[in-house]
Amino acid sequence: MIPADLLGAGSAISASAVAAAEPAVRSSGIGFEDVSVAYGDLVVLDSLTLTVRPGEIVALIGPSGSGKTTALRAVAGFVRPVRGRITIGTRDVTNVAPHARNIGMVVQNYALFPHMRAEENVAFGLRARGAAADVIRARVPECLRMVGMASYAKRFPRELSGGQQQRVAIARALAIRPQVLLLDEPLSALDAQIRRSMLDELAKLHRDLPSLTVLYVTHDQTEALTLANHIGIMRDGRLIAFGSAQSLYRYPPNRFSAEFLGRANLLPVQALTSTGAGMARVRFGEEALAARNHHGLPDGGDCLLCVRPHDLRLHPAEEAGNRLTGTVRAVQWQGDMQNVELDVAGHVLRLTCAPMHEPPAPGASLTVHFSAAEATFVPEMQPGG
Amino acid sequence: MLVWSRTGRASTFALVAVLFALVYGLPIGVIALASISGQWNGVMPSQLTFVHYANALRGDSFEQLRISLYTGIIASGVALVSGTWAALALRTRRRLTRRALDAVFFIPSAVPSVSVGLGLLVAFSRPPVLLNGTTLIVLIAHFVLISAFTYGNVSAGLARLPADFEQVAESLGARPFYRLRRVTLPLVTPYLIAAFSLSFALSMGELGATVMVYPPGWVTMPVGIFALSDRGAIFDAAALTMVLAASTLIVLLGLSRIPTKASAH
Amino acid sequence: MADLAIALPRSGEPPSAGGLWIVPPLLALAALFFFPLGLIVRQALAGDSGAVSLSHFTEVLGSGQFHDALHHTIVIAVSSTAGCLVLGFVLSVLITFTPFPGGKLVARLIDTFIALPTFLVALSFTFIYGSAGILNESLMRLLHVELPPVDFLYSQWGVILSEITVYTPFVMRPLLAAFSLIEPAQIEVASSLGARSLRIVGRIILPAALPALVAGGSLCLLLTVNEFGIVLFIGAKDVITLPLLIYDKAIQQFDYTAACVIAAINVALSLCLYSLYRFVVMYFGGRRAGLV
Repeated sequence: MIPADLLGAGSAISASAVAAAEPAVRSSGIGFEDVSVAYGDLVVLDSLTLTVRPGEIVALIGPSGSGKTTALRAVAGFVRPVRGRITIGTRDVTNVAPHARNIGMVVQNYALFPHMRAEENVAFGLRARGAAADVIRARVPECLRMVGMASYAKRFPRELSGGQQQRVAIARALAIRPQVLLLDEPLSALDAQIRRSMLDELAKLHRDLPSLTVLYVTHDQTEALTLANHIGIMRDGRLIAFGSAQSLYRYPPNRFSAEFLGRANLLPVQALTSTGAGMARVRFGEEALAARNHHGLPDGGDCLLCVRPHDLRLHPAEEAGNRLTGTVRAVQWQGDMQNVELDVAGHVLRLTCAPMHEPPAPGASLTVHFSAAEATFVPEMQPGG
Repeated sequence: MLVWSRTGRASTFALVAVLFALVYGLPIGVIALASISGQWNGVMPSQLTFVHYANALRGDSFEQLRISLYTGIIASGVALVSGTWAALALRTRRRLTRRALDAVFFIPSAVPSVSVGLGLLVAFSRPPVLLNGTTLIVLIAHFVLISAFTYGNVSAGLARLPADFEQVAESLGARPFYRLRRVTLPLVTPYLIAAFSLSFALSMGELGATVMVYPPGWVTMPVGIFALSDRGAIFDAAALTMVLAASTLIVLLGLSRIPTKASAH
Repeated sequence: MADLAIALPRSGEPPSAGGLWIVPPLLALAALFFFPLGLIVRQALAGDSGAVSLSHFTEVLGSGQFHDALHHTIVIAVSSTAGCLVLGFVLSVLITFTPFPGGKLVARLIDTFIALPTFLVALSFTFIYGSAGILNESLMRLLHVELPPVDFLYSQWGVILSEITVYTPFVMRPLLAAFSLIEPAQIEVASSLGARSLRIVGRIILPAALPALVAGGSLCLLLTVNEFGIVLFIGAKDVITLPLLIYDKAIQQFDYTAACVIAAINVALSLCLYSLYRFVVMYFGGRRAGLV
């Protein structure tokens, strides 16, 4: 049962050589097939079908109670589904015990074993699987080096800061060469400053280990947008949106996704008319507005127009762009940007721009412009319920 | 917080100090004084001597010290194993059975110790299991009485252990026994030590069940102290009580000094 | 959400062999405790003859000795518990809420006191309150009287005083734990709103302490009903409690049947009090009762 790579005669493997050694570890994806988890009457995960391709990072985001952590724990094996199948690579692991699934797990509170030094923590998985002593001797320093903690090998967890502990926790998970890495809100317990630098390091780590498949659970959309190839948005136990970070952000498939991923202005509009080349025209009160119809909404219907705050401008960028006029409700200066709240026919529009020398006063009339290519139509009803 | 003024605090401090000294310091102080008294007819002893300690650490009394220590260590050790086993086994049970069995394990501490002794006498005074008059029956009596406390302490410690540690260990490939040995038990070691300490202290002071079942060759210190005081040798009794208290506290102090690298906080 | 996902649901999975691990300790407990307990009940009902009847019960229950013992047991237990609650509450409040410099040390000392045998206090009281004890001798000299003026030691009150000393820590521990959950900010805000110390104690601290008080009080009640060493050492001839009566009957008089009857009743009483204690803790929740 011991993976072959743990029995090798070791020599010190440098971090760069890890990438070269990667072909020895088969890259595996994760598959959820109609997975449901329930505790009695309480349905926590409702028919989740999702695929994480080998070597990619998928972020599951959503508010608390959305089931994203449950989905991750189902892959780890700490939660048994009442229905459905979970696969890692080509293996059906639904009935496999957690310690036999060959996964690496990093949790929010690090969970470093306090009675072991950093290097003993990293070596734990290898020891538990019966790895040869020389493999352990080689791999532990290599993993610590990968996360930049090589000089802290002899420290105890209580002597390390939050960020340092989390890095050791990541090294510990990677030491066993897992097929899949599961990260459960790994940055939530860290200060905002540390979070930013850790995010960069996680991105770099994934570049150094291109065959590592990662499932990343978070409630912070910035982390998701920064790291993930694909994002899944969850709500009340269901997956309500899935796609690449770019497409989900540019063309959100429903209202919740639009508002959850990035900030959005959503205006209810009527009488959609297709104008070809993936664009369409709608009516908003007296105005005619145009935007992308990425989701192919039918003619004649009502929907929402989504435009991001930073895409609203005070000066027209092109001749035939969209235009809305309203009354300024509030102006907020936030250092590197300025937020303007605009009342347009009873709806609130938020606009973000660089700080102005003479910001508009509340109560003044203001016209904002945005191009059709930067706005999109969002269906009012969520697809699939 | 409640008292603001300087004088208020000073007088409160004085009040509490006096109260404490009276309620807790006085008994101990008096016993200590009695243990070194030669003669005590008036308010204070008229003569001080160490002969009572000499008696206490010699002959019968010293034997009782030895027997109490053996009984304490053996009974506490077995109770610790049994209590830890039960606490670990109950962790994975469903809520209802766990609650019921939890109550069951605590019951021996809820009944009077005398009845535990009586029960053992009644149950094991006849063949095929004849324990009446052996040292084993004393050890069993102590074990039954303190097992609830080891169980309680260890299960409280296990309940405090965040599930993350064991789950991460499991995800890294550790099988159940490996996890138990390398992660769970090291992390609850402080509670194991506390459980052993509490059990040991209770065993050292145990009188009710012991006095029902003890054979003449296995006399513990509490029984010996009672015999002395009953006979009228109250100063010797006081000295032996001091020896009992001191030996208990020394062992407890030694146990608290065991370095535990774990602090799962 | 995470706390829901921590439990390992076994939806539809057959029970693992892990369920059998509980058997050995359970068996040991059954053999060494429940089996003897059952035999006690059997002896109480059947006596030496073997025929089940309630005659032994009625005989014992009718005796004056038993009534005395029961009466003393209950009076001592209730009085001691009341004393423990008052003393424990006062000391805990003073330690926690007046900035008491040695607060932590005092708590540790109290824990240490629990490690000492209960009869130590009773023995010391002989020296303090006995007829030739410190108090009496001092008073005799002070007041120039011949006979010892204070003579409560060899009565219920000696036992009660000893038990209050010994069992107050069992009330103080949950109280101190419960008090540590009260945010100091609450008291500060109350003071700034104009409340004086006594009002704060009565309106803020006491209600917060109630669960711990009730839990500690029921625990005290249980422990004092079961107490043996103190009563034995005080050795007053007319202060007999149920445990002491059991000892008397079994060891001094070799009347095992009577001893079993009294033991059965004592155990039943203890188990009722224990159930009360568990119910109280469950009702208030372990945390508020300062026990978890």
